[in-house]
Amino acid sequence: MGEIEINYGSTIPTESLKVIAESVGIGNLSDDAAKEISDSATYRLKLVLQESKKFMVHSNRCKLLPSDIDNALKVFGIEPIYGFHSKDHIPFRYASGGGRELHFIDDKDIDLIEFVNAPLAKLPLEISIRCHWLAIDGVQPTVPENPPSVSKDMQKLECVDPLGKLKKPIDKEVSGRPSTGKAQKLRNVETVHVKQLATHELSVEQQLYYKEITEACVGSDEARRAEALQSLASDPGLHEMLPRMCTFIAEGVKVNVVQNNLALLIYLMRMVKALLDNPALYLEKYLHEIIPSVVTCVVSKQLCMRPEIDNHWALRDFASRLMAQICKMFNTPTNNVQTRITRVFTNATNSDKTALPSVYGALEGLAELGTETIKVFVIPRVRMISDRLDSPEVTQNNVDRISGNQIKHLLCKILTPVLKITHQPPDNIEEYKKEFGSVGVQLHAAVCKARVIVTSQNSNNQTTTQTSTQSRTAVGRPISATPGNSGAPQKYVLMSQRPIVSQTPPNKTVYISQQNIKTEFQDPSN
Amino acid sequence: MEEDIKPDIKPVIDETPKEPDDKKTNLCVALKILKKYNLNTTVETLKKEANLTDSAYNTSELDVNNALNVYKSQGDPSVYENAYITLSKFVETSLDIYKHELGCVLYPVFIHMYLDLVCNGYEAEAIQFMKKFAPGQESYYQNDIRNLAIITKKEELNDNVIVSSYKSNEFVVRMSRDTLSLLKRHLKEKKQTVLLDIVQENLFFDVYEGLARNKQQIDAVAGGMIGEGTRQDNKLRVYYGLMKEPDLQTAAAAVNLEEDEEEEGEKPKKKKSKTNPLLSKKTKIDPNAPPIDRMTLPQLREIDKKIKVQAVLDSAKRVALSPETLPSVCCYTLLNCSHAVNCATISDDATMLAVGLANSRIRVWSLVPQKLRAMKTADQLLDIDLEADDVMHRILDDRSAETTRTLLGHFGAVYQVSFSPDKTLLLSCSEDCTIRLWSLLLWSCVVAYKGSYHPVWDVKFSLHGYYFATASRDRTARLWSTDNYQSLRLFSGHFSDVDCCQFHPNSNYIATGSSDRTIRLWDCVTGEQVRLMTGHKGEILTLCFSNEGRVLASAGNDCNILLWDIAHGHLVAMLTGHKEPIRTLTFSRDSTILASGSHDCKIMLWDYSKMLEDLSLDDMNVHNQIIINDNDKYLLRAFGTKNSPVIHLFFSRRNIMFCVCSFSPPQSN
Repeated sequence: MGEIEINYGSTIPTESLKVIAESVGIGNLSDDAAKEISDSATYRLKLVLQESKKFMVHSNRCKLLPSDIDNALKVFGIEPIYGFHSKDHIPFRYASGGGRELHFIDDKDIDLIEFVNAPLAKLPLEISIRCHWLAIDGVQPTVPENPPSVSKDMQKLECVDPLGKLKKPIDKEVSGRPSTGKAQKLRNVETVHVKQLATHELSVEQQLYYKEITEACVGSDEARRAEALQSLASDPGLHEMLPRMCTFIAEGVKVNVVQNNLALLIYLMRMVKALLDNPALYLEKYLHEIIPSVVTCVVSKQLCMRPEIDNHWALRDFASRLMAQICKMFNTPTNNVQTRITRVFTNATNSDKTALPSVYGALEGLAELGTETIKVFVIPRVRMISDRLDSPEVTQNNVDRISGNQIKHLLCKILTPVLKITHQPPDNIEEYKKEFGSVGVQLHAAVCKARVIVTSQNSNNQTTTQTSTQSRTAVGRPISATPGNSGAPQKYVLMSQRPIVSQTPPNKTVYISQQNIKTEFQDPSN
Repeated sequence: MEEDIKPDIKPVIDETPKEPDDKKTNLCVALKILKKYNLNTTVETLKKEANLTDSAYNTSELDVNNALNVYKSQGDPSVYENAYITLSKFVETSLDIYKHELGCVLYPVFIHMYLDLVCNGYEAEAIQFMKKFAPGQESYYQNDIRNLAIITKKEELNDNVIVSSYKSNEFVVRMSRDTLSLLKRHLKEKKQTVLLDIVQENLFFDVYEGLARNKQQIDAVAGGMIGEGTRQDNKLRVYYGLMKEPDLQTAAAAVNLEEDEEEEGEKPKKKKSKTNPLLSKKTKIDPNAPPIDRMTLPQLREIDKKIKVQAVLDSAKRVALSPETLPSVCCYTLLNCSHAVNCATISDDATMLAVGLANSRIRVWSLVPQKLRAMKTADQLLDIDLEADDVMHRILDDRSAETTRTLLGHFGAVYQVSFSPDKTLLLSCSEDCTIRLWSLLLWSCVVAYKGSYHPVWDVKFSLHGYYFATASRDRTARLWSTDNYQSLRLFSGHFSDVDCCQFHPNSNYIATGSSDRTIRLWDCVTGEQVRLMTGHKGEILTLCFSNEGRVLASAGNDCNILLWDIAHGHLVAMLTGHKEPIRTLTFSRDSTILASGSHDCKIMLWDYSKMLEDLSLDDMNVHNQIIINDNDKYLLRAFGTKNSPVIHLFFSRRNIMFCVCSFSPPQSN
């Protein structure tokens, strides 16, 4: 018990009491009086709290509410405090100065007109009951109403400590199907712990589900695909099928990169996105399959049949965002995912021999990893890339020229917000040219334009600088059409919107992203 | 007598306290006492020495008493600390077999020393004493200690409930004869009056012959606010058996007839022969059952008989449960009401769910396609033929059918609801200090019972109907009948709030669980307390009798489930596994499984039939006692709900488990 610090005698500080006394007009309260009052007040406060705890317990809660205190006061025959309800967890603010330390309640001024004109608060929802089978003959079905059979924390733990599973004899806490009697018996007999071969048997239903989902995901019916992706992103019971899904994606990418099947690659990436978004899944165990597939879609030399017209850039952008999301979710000091990925992308930009689409992908991939990465890995190489784009072998080849233009646009897009901050306002076009080569001209124009927009916005209203914030937000955000893009923009839905199903937790968002595309995509059936 | 008092007081006066005022009163008191015993020469010398006049010490009698009270337990605060240290050292250094039993003395001594210090006005020393020794006390006492630590001033002692229960009751410590003699020898040797006084006045030793108990045995039953129950408390005989069921053959025949009519004579003969043995099976008399006329039970009406027959018929279709065939669980999740649901209950035939809310409403849902209907108006009722067989259906108005209804009437949070066995009545208790009886035919309140001006925490209908029990914050439990405004029995004895109550299946007894961490069993007929059981380490929130009436299961804030043998008042099993307070317990209808539901969003199933096997209750007697605490062996399975604390568990007659939980979305911060 020694290690638990139990506080048996906390009291209201006399300083606070003096301040309270001052606030009611008693100027100089003597120390003794303050002490006396503080003791008495502490005693009474603690009694009230002690009593209100009982009301909390009987109200089926582990959190004390103002109503409990009101009830306790009522029991003691004291007038309850009306109207003290704070939205904050602890509404007290702390301040110190002049040798005083104070906790006080923030008393904000409320603009009455605004308050009166504000829309009415929503009515609380009617209480309702929902009925489902928590267990059938002692087995919990994996329906959305039940918690996932293997919780995310447990999946996480499994990654870190795979041996932990062996140590536990029989896990009754796991609510899936009962462990087979055979394994238990074996464990009793054998003295040496042999790692049981995990048999990932899928039930008939799961096999059917797998077939349906994979078919729908890569099929031609967009509505079915949307449904399938929604299921992948929200169903809690996918844990057992996860290895197969990941293999499906990895194999699919391998085959379709060779065949330059852009559409299928996009579908597969959307599957990755859905799996990443599923709150019940933890993908770390399968990163060795997912990361190569995603990186392939970022930096592959060729992703489509007609590089000059097909919009493989959109796929590269999307995969880059996925990569950044993976880095954000799974980067740990032990696996160093982010560092390793950064190295892969940097290597691609360093070489003169790298195909231009790959350079584009690598740059986009680096850009998605954040401003710091851009500063350290992109900016120093801009001049080199720019020089290469100006070289005659690039400008003379039609395909390469398109790629070059794309890279230039990309550089403008990703560098403008950064340069705006790193470079001081008087932007000199010569300096830009010197630093960045021919791209410097475009960059200079973009930065100047951005500055003008910001200042005009500032003068108008305090609306946030939408362009810059948007490009820095996390993956999967809606991307507005980039103004600098040439060619007639054609909307191409990468992620389609689905109505949010009522049972899904409210924090889940469904993302839409639209991208300008110059060409039609190929139907996979062709 | 004279000699007794004088040596006690003299040394005190020698070490006169520093304050001159105190010194004067002390001397005056001393003089008064000396005078009382006619020690005139001493009086004169003392007066001379202290320069006191006659008038100075003419204080009132009350003052003397006060002062005497103060001095009764020594003046020097450091004595307490020393005494406590010597005692704990003695406990520490004694032989291992006695050590743990001796350790039981430390807590009550600690409490009373602290109270004495506060009582004597040594505020700073008392706080010091608390800080120094409180962390060393057992974890299950920490809550009480924290509550006591609030009190630091003499004035605060007077109206404090906890203090008065400590002061007016002896703390019960169970000890073997050997241990007690060891303790007595130590007390005699050390001659510390403080310690002696406390032990003599505030401790009660329940002595038994035989070996001293070990740490585990002591810990299992320790935890009560005023110590353990004595053996005397559990000596009275308890009729824990079930009474003979009334003859249902005639009623069964009627029900059969009805069913046959419904099924249009489809194999009528076979049906009859099937039900008969079922109904006549329970004819042997349980030797432990109370005489049928011991407690006046309500006469069975025709409708009651029908319900009973229906129950028996239902039970014929019951799923036999075992560790291999676990029950199916149907879960009702209450949505949009986190922090608002206080209680829920399901009617015995699993057709209705009642929920008590924090906003003083009661909601009733129909769980079957048949909707909740109200009775027709009086005019319409006149037209109904009373002789008709389906009169119960005819009186209800089909147009009023609804799947859910709200009962309004309370003006405080509703803490418990309970259906009557014939499901025409519903009881509720509330923070507004009333208990209300609702008619489920009229859907309105018919009676508001008032006991005391304290919130009522729990209300339960007897399984036979008519009677009901309540548990209240006023530290009493009450027995009521539906037709009486006043309570029939008042059971007082708990030292803190009575948090829950439960009727024994034979309706002759009521079990109560309290915040003083004891469970008591009360006889409804005599009003006496017949069992006192300690072992819980926190407030007890739920109680459940096994179907055959012998075993009582209890659980609460300490996250443990304890099983008690009612026949002797023994603790027989302790099951741990939950991580947050347990709200509900239930036995399966065939007594094979015990299910517990907790605030940690888990339902655990325990193998009760195996426990019974291992315990062999029939061999158990007053002396022979086994305590089971092998959790892994008895835990069958744990089901998790999705962020929904479990409020109520219930086994239907066909052994399907129903679970009521309220969804509380995970907090974002």
